[in-house]
Amino acid sequence: MKEKSHMERIVIVRWVSAAALLAPCAAAWAHAPVLDCYIEPDKVHCEAGFSDGSSAAGRPVKVLDAQNKVLLEGKLDQAGVFEFKPPPEAYHVTFVGGDHHEVTLYSSNFSK
Amino acid sequence: MKIKPFFSSTLLFALGGFLPSLPAQAHFQTLYVAESALERGDNLEFALVFTHPFQGGPTMPMSEPRSFSMTSYRAGAEPVVTDLRKYLRPIEWEGGGRRAAAYQASIPREVVRSLGDHVFLLEPEPYLEAGEDMYIQQFTKVIVNVGGVPSGWANTQNLPVEIQPLSRPYANWTGGIFRAIVLSGGVPVPFAKVEVEYMNYAVDLHKRGFGGKPQIRAPHPAYERLSALADANGVVAVGLPKAGWWGIAALDIGAEKVHKGKTMSQDAVLWVQVKDME
Repeated sequence: MKEKSHMERIVIVRWVSAAALLAPCAAAWAHAPVLDCYIEPDKVHCEAGFSDGSSAAGRPVKVLDAQNKVLLEGKLDQAGVFEFKPPPEAYHVTFVGGDHHEVTLYSSNFSK
Repeated sequence: MKIKPFFSSTLLFALGGFLPSLPAQAHFQTLYVAESALERGDNLEFALVFTHPFQGGPTMPMSEPRSFSMTSYRAGAEPVVTDLRKYLRPIEWEGGGRRAAAYQASIPREVVRSLGDHVFLLEPEPYLEAGEDMYIQQFTKVIVNVGGVPSGWANTQNLPVEIQPLSRPYANWTGGIFRAIVLSGGVPVPFAKVEVEYMNYAVDLHKRGFGGKPQIRAPHPAYERLSALADANGVVAVGLPKAGWWGIAALDIGAEKVHKGKTMSQDAVLWVQVKDME
């Protein structure tokens, strides 16, 4: 399951890369979004950033269920952190890093 | 008579066993971890060994480190310093046919899971090199990245002596060039004496020692430990011809020249990890 989620992330990032190459004003590949989430005793702690080291502060984050229904929306804080109480069902978290810059992680791939 | 490289190397190694000590310049403080570029945070196992990495020993006994810490960086957040001494445990490390006191540290994932750069710093207790009647203290740095998000890898750490990287130490291709600045008290050291060694043996964290055959054989003793000088601005450039760990040491650049009444060499060490293009 871990491998599957890892591959999903790679697929997403590669798709973003391809889209960037085709775009008339190509976003730099070095600006790829990165996301990771950890389970804490009473919450989920997500961190986001970019592969060029730039800040993700203020960028939107969505928590969605298996049917892609948005359960929660929010913005990353100054340190690129977003925390929330985990829903009871399986869910995934999407970091919207800009046009064609999204990365998604699934709750099955979260650990401490 | 021309001695074949293997035999000259073996001879030198054998002599090392009989000599009171090897030259102080051949010593390297290691701060070994298997992987410095992590996709996600993971448990990290460190080996802190004072040794001769190209020859796989002999290993010198370490006293309890003065400090072992990690500075973690994230864009938009203040750096976080974590004292790691509680994770240290004394061990014996086998290298070059003898065992010596060393340290191992198991850092749990929770401590090093955050996206970004984590700078690991080791300040060892000065080591008395009896053969030369002098102390050696090597401030050692390793940088681990999580998630491919760069942050503070190039930051100085306010150490008395330090090698400040100008390239990311955790992301280097075989055949590349690594650049850094040699600092003493935060100031570049012109023409600093720099030595470079390849970690030439496999590191076995379970058996706690170096193992297997050497990765490469030096054609001449001078190739075992490469020597260079920094330029007038304290900048040093190092070629990276083989995948693995490369240690860079700037020697005797500290302000403290005496310890317990004896001469002391305060050195700065930085470890750089290299991978093949595949």
